[in-house]
Amino acid sequence: MNHQLRNLFFIWSMILLSIILMVIPVPEVIDQYRLPWLKMTVIFFSIFNVSLIGIISVWFSGLILDILTGGLMGENALILAVLSYLSYRFRFQVRVYPMWQIMIVVLILLSLGELIALWIHGVSGNMFFNIYDWINVGIAVLVWPIFTKVLEKMQSSFLE
Amino acid sequence: MPLHPAQRINRFEKNFSAYRLIIVVIISCILMYQDYQKNYLSVLRVYLSASLYPAQYLINLPKNFIQKLDINFSEREALLQENKVLKKDNFELRSNIQQVYRLESENKRLYDLLDSKPKKDNSYIFADIVAVSPIAEKHQIIINKGSRDDVVIGSAVADGNGILGHVIRDQIFGSEVLLISDREHAIPIEIVRTSLRSIAVGTGNYNELRINALATNTDIKKGDILITSGLGGRYPEGFPVGTVKDVINNPGESFLEISVTPFGNLKTINEIWVIQPTTGH
Repeated sequence: MNHQLRNLFFIWSMILLSIILMVIPVPEVIDQYRLPWLKMTVIFFSIFNVSLIGIISVWFSGLILDILTGGLMGENALILAVLSYLSYRFRFQVRVYPMWQIMIVVLILLSLGELIALWIHGVSGNMFFNIYDWINVGIAVLVWPIFTKVLEKMQSSFLE
Repeated sequence: MPLHPAQRINRFEKNFSAYRLIIVVIISCILMYQDYQKNYLSVLRVYLSASLYPAQYLINLPKNFIQKLDINFSEREALLQENKVLKKDNFELRSNIQQVYRLESENKRLYDLLDSKPKKDNSYIFADIVAVSPIAEKHQIIINKGSRDDVVIGSAVADGNGILGHVIRDQIFGSEVLLISDREHAIPIEIVRTSLRSIAVGTGNYNELRINALATNTDIKKGDILITSGLGGRYPEGFPVGTVKDVINNPGESFLEISVTPFGNLKTINEIWVIQPTTGH
């Protein structure tokens, strides 16, 4: 497998894995604690390995998620594109931050994502405030150090 | 030739250019607007959903497989017991149906006497559930029959106990069903005891619907049975919806607060039927 194909395969398997984690049926107890895996993956690659993705591929992955979850078509796509763009713009600052500051940046980005979702729901006339969305943002920030470790491991073992 | 440092840093600039972001945001807004209005691009969504149907099926395979396994490995004793109960139920239902034939013919005769339009006959399509929406506040399911099996958008979906919801989106090989407990859902109902008509809206809670627009002097009490009224033309007439669980009369309020328990098992749906309206005989 040549280099480019390998990259493509790696990034799309990561994206599909996150999508699967977001839609796979799980027992009811942990169902409400479903983390925003796809947003986390996109933020990670937009900061730490920009050679793998671009806005267009991020947008398509969001579209797939929208259709699989039965949501408004384009909602997650829009949010992910915006998050990916912002992460890319601030990647040099963020990369040199210590972990706790990176976690704050991730918190801000994920909260922004939730905020855009609330706006879209508000405009389309069904704004429900779900406290679990925000709890999950908090959990996602807390697991971020482990998450990045795992992704870095996978990256270094799969890509040379 | 090695790249200049500035070139190297900005190698991927075009993948993340602001123009692309703007274009993508505009396209998303158009898609969302069209999807919300359910016009021109709904066909696009049908095909996208249909192409992702295998993925949907595969993702839900483990869960459905475990459920099947559960049935196959259940105890012989339990199965025998269940069989006994089902036989008894079947016998009872069969004897009840004998009455129904008579009632139906009588009903038809009365309709003829009144010279009113003939009753609509429904056809039923049996389906299995494929997936439940992973979003907690969206009460949606996907079933394994779509327009390929002649399921049309808007047909009502029910299980053995009562109405569950209606088909909102076609996926060719499957279709998406909005449950009556979803917050965006409202169903026209009729109280059997008084023939009073109203509308029950979903609450986002699987075992509760709510009736908001009945004045405080309305004759309604706990235990009243609700059926579909057939108004609005979406749900066929006379299917069971639920029972009144609670009637709260807050002093100073002009409307009653009525909560309803749906008959259908909205939380644990297995086999369902899609009620297809067929006009005339």
